[in-house]
Amino acid sequence: MAASKSNALNWFLHRITGTFLIFMLITHFWVQHYDHQVASVTHEVVTEKGQMPEYPEAAKEGVKARFGPDAEVTPYQVVMQRLADPVYAVLWKGFNILFLIVALHHGFYGLNNVMTDYIRNPMGRLVARSLSWTVALGLFIIGLYSVITAGW
Amino acid sequence: MAVDTQDRPTATASESSTTARQESRFQRYRVRTGMFAWLMHRLTGVGLVVYLIIHIWGLTSLTDPETFNALIAKYHSPIFKVGEFALLVAVAYHAMNGLRIVLIDFLGWSPKQKRLFVTLGAVTAIIILVGGWPSIYSLGEWIFGPGSMPSLFL
Repeated sequence: MAASKSNALNWFLHRITGTFLIFMLITHFWVQHYDHQVASVTHEVVTEKGQMPEYPEAAKEGVKARFGPDAEVTPYQVVMQRLADPVYAVLWKGFNILFLIVALHHGFYGLNNVMTDYIRNPMGRLVARSLSWTVALGLFIIGLYSVITAGW
Repeated sequence: MAVDTQDRPTATASESSTTARQESRFQRYRVRTGMFAWLMHRLTGVGLVVYLIIHIWGLTSLTDPETFNALIAKYHSPIFKVGEFALLVAVAYHAMNGLRIVLIDFLGWSPKQKRLFVTLGAVTAIIILVGGWPSIYSLGEWIFGPGSMPSLFL
């Protein structure tokens, strides 16, 4: 009870989640932008409407190896490679759920710190806190749904 | 009456008696390195929360391949490439300044904080250059034509 009243536990958690986020973000960034086989974002600017980004050879081979030689190499299919293997699917979904929880806690706890600094009225603080954590919970449910159902 | 002295120029001298209290009040808010670091941490933090909300919301498109492809294609437009770079700058700054706070709070590195600040500043610059290269590269290729940018570590 004392911990929750002084918010010391959350203060401590904020630093722990922050440290975790550094490592998780490096992984996330590498997979989304640097890995030539599974990165869904390429080093290319697309300006034409309806045009899709061009993927590296490694990505094309990966998609065709998974989904057959006629498979289209679209952003969706590039992402789906990682989820096609059931073992990796579970690992990636687990990683992303953990990532989601850690990022939301860190972000919304930080946001609450900022809001408490500028909102002086106790009632205003309560409203801001309840509202922001409701948004966080909503995002958690939405995110969880996206992660779990991806590739179904 | 304003008296010009060596350590107090005319302009300040004439106002000093009336603004003395205000001056001391503003003194606390004088933006120094630590204050600037804190302010930027706060601004990037709020910005990243806004991005997190948009990002999680955008990923609901994963349930439909067509929508997801359209979204990713949009992320390759020039304005999003600039945004991508700005996002990396915010993340790199927030992460490294956060690491600085953790090292000072948990490992008691406050005696070394000058060196820590400089080192992490250099690391942040490297992260922004190496990590931001894909965005800079793609924008350069678009503006100056294919093959005009060195691919470096891509």
